[in-house]
Amino acid sequence: MKNYISVAFVGNPNCGKTTLFNAFTGANLKVANWPGVTVERKEGETSYKGQKIKLIDLPGIYSLTSYSMEEKVSRKAILDEEIDVIVNIVDASAMERNLYLTLQLLEMGKPVILALNMMDIVEERGMEIDLHRLPEMLGHIPVVPVSARKRTGLDVLLHAVKHHYEEQNTDPVVSYTPDIEDKIEVLEHMLHEKWPEDTNLRWHALKILENDEEILKEHPLDTSEVVDKNYEKIIINQKYDYIEEIVEETLFYKNQKEEKTEKIDRILTHRIWGVPVFLGIMALVFFCTFTVGDAVKGIFEAGLDYAFAGMTHLLTSLHASDWMVSLIVDGIMAGVGGILTFLPNIFILFLALAVLEDSGYMARVAYVMDGIMGRVGLSGKAFLPMVLGFGCTVPAIMASRTLEKESDRKRTMLLTPFMSCSARLPIYVLFADMFFGKYAMIVAFSLYALGLVMAILLALILRKFSKSKGEANLLIELPEYKTPNARTIWIYVWEKVKDYLTKAGTTIFVASIVIWFILNYNTSGMVTDVTTSFGASMGKWLEPLLAPAGLGMWQIAVALISGLSAKEVVISSFSVLYGISNINSLEGMGQLSQILAGQNFGALNAYALMVFCLLYTPCVATLATIRKETHSSKWTMMTVFFQLAVAYLAAVLVFQIGSLF
Amino acid sequence: MSLVEAKVGSVYRVTQMLVEQKILRRLEALGILEGTRIEILNRKRNGATIIKVRGARWALGSDIASGINLEDYTA
Repeated sequence: MKNYISVAFVGNPNCGKTTLFNAFTGANLKVANWPGVTVERKEGETSYKGQKIKLIDLPGIYSLTSYSMEEKVSRKAILDEEIDVIVNIVDASAMERNLYLTLQLLEMGKPVILALNMMDIVEERGMEIDLHRLPEMLGHIPVVPVSARKRTGLDVLLHAVKHHYEEQNTDPVVSYTPDIEDKIEVLEHMLHEKWPEDTNLRWHALKILENDEEILKEHPLDTSEVVDKNYEKIIINQKYDYIEEIVEETLFYKNQKEEKTEKIDRILTHRIWGVPVFLGIMALVFFCTFTVGDAVKGIFEAGLDYAFAGMTHLLTSLHASDWMVSLIVDGIMAGVGGILTFLPNIFILFLALAVLEDSGYMARVAYVMDGIMGRVGLSGKAFLPMVLGFGCTVPAIMASRTLEKESDRKRTMLLTPFMSCSARLPIYVLFADMFFGKYAMIVAFSLYALGLVMAILLALILRKFSKSKGEANLLIELPEYKTPNARTIWIYVWEKVKDYLTKAGTTIFVASIVIWFILNYNTSGMVTDVTTSFGASMGKWLEPLLAPAGLGMWQIAVALISGLSAKEVVISSFSVLYGISNINSLEGMGQLSQILAGQNFGALNAYALMVFCLLYTPCVATLATIRKETHSSKWTMMTVFFQLAVAYLAAVLVFQIGSLF
Repeated sequence: MSLVEAKVGSVYRVTQMLVEQKILRRLEALGILEGTRIEILNRKRNGATIIKVRGARWALGSDIASGINLEDYTA
């Protein structure tokens, strides 16, 4: 006997389900995949008056058919015995659409509690909902008004969970026309005879009438005498007819105002201004990332300096051996610490992306970019993973799951790494600052733009070679605009910051030690002259190859190879290579640019380096994700070489053409 | 007339849907069926259109939009 109630959160996309889920669980959640499929499963815990309650967040879905992975997963979970009660989150300002899922849930027989979210928008629009009549028309299930954003009604909802989790729905809510009801009755009898244990016969009967593949497979019955055609359309229509009735009886307009969303959309989705506005917003995001991030950076640098001094002092007072001091100070602290100073830039970037996502703008981007993406044979929806790629390529690659066609998905995965992710940001911040002074920001922008242009250009070329014709089958909901919710944003950004810190503590930590090792040792032990180390001999071997791109220095070869572990490591490598303690500080930059200038490495070389870093093979984590999502090692290897080739060619072109002037 | 030719700002009724089976079933589940009332909100030059159906806004690509036939809505 389990001692908790398990509750499934079910609702349409954009109904505030995640915000409500977060309101109960905070950031303490277990995120995993549903068994066997790549659909995210989130789980959290809360309690009400001593009763432990387990919350399971099902994917956002519009209906419970079995067309998409998300729908199949949700359906299985709901029918599963593990779940005791369903909390159906309904966007009160879009009841007409949301109630379709509700009616389907009610037919499944599990206890359902309706959480009526976004009542504030309903009021704002001058509408009113009859909270007495609504539950009456939905089979007397509890209906609880909540506000996920203002965190009201939460206790009432848990109260309802605790008191209603054992109440099964027995009476049918939607009565279909007599001819359909007759067929349902016959089917119920047939099902009962063959599977006497089954409880939700009505639901199964309906699914058989709808010709549902999964149910027909599980319940093989000869129904040819009853089911003479597919009744799906008729059943859908009758459900919507009933919803119209509900809306008519429970929703009242007092003084309807023009919706804010429509006003905003007139600008943001304008047929001409839509694209420039989007580009402007992205430019603003990067501007903030650089300026605000840089403003806070000082504090981090001071902290790092302090830590360096403290650690060196501590180690000498402990009489640590030289190699130990070198490993900790020149290796680990230079490598990891240098990366930590970029945290403010990363933080701002993710904050901006979170705001764009939570406000409802992202879906518009798919529409706005549909024209441009259409020309390269992809739908505007394929642009969304690419925008996410400005944050981190790994979740961006995963986001390409939302594309239905395998070939579209693969092409999107090939292009997404060209979007300049936050790990490449430190490289631009550092090198643009060092070599381009007051033009640093323009130079950094140019790289973001170059990534985007390259992606679109390559998509065009790929399209010439691919047989499949691109389809413009965009189908995406444009949700209501809303003020971003601080809590939702915080959880999102905190997750990313945590990832970044984890990466600094793991991948970058290990990479720094490895780099330190290969630079301080060779076959005969520790070296005093770095040019005789493992790293140097390896790098020297690549020097001639990189020379046409203006990158013919063994140090750069080492940095680029180590950058495969994570792109920030390129910066860590420079710190370790040149023994610079605080690379992102004015002092550190001065030191590095002086050394590099001594090696004939100027602004043009720096730009070629940045171009190469932008385009070359993505980090190991991205490659692992591509492998996982495509299930193809061949495809993954192709990505590796394709991007390497593109990066090399681009860097050579930049350097050779630049050298002419 | 097809949805790509419909006037922005006007209201119509769906008469026929000639799209891929998979997309048809998705549209139906979203409540876009023959007989449904549709409002045209916006359109891009490539034919992608924003519509309002049952209180929700949807962006449809030109392929889908051109497969949906409409007639003037009379209440």
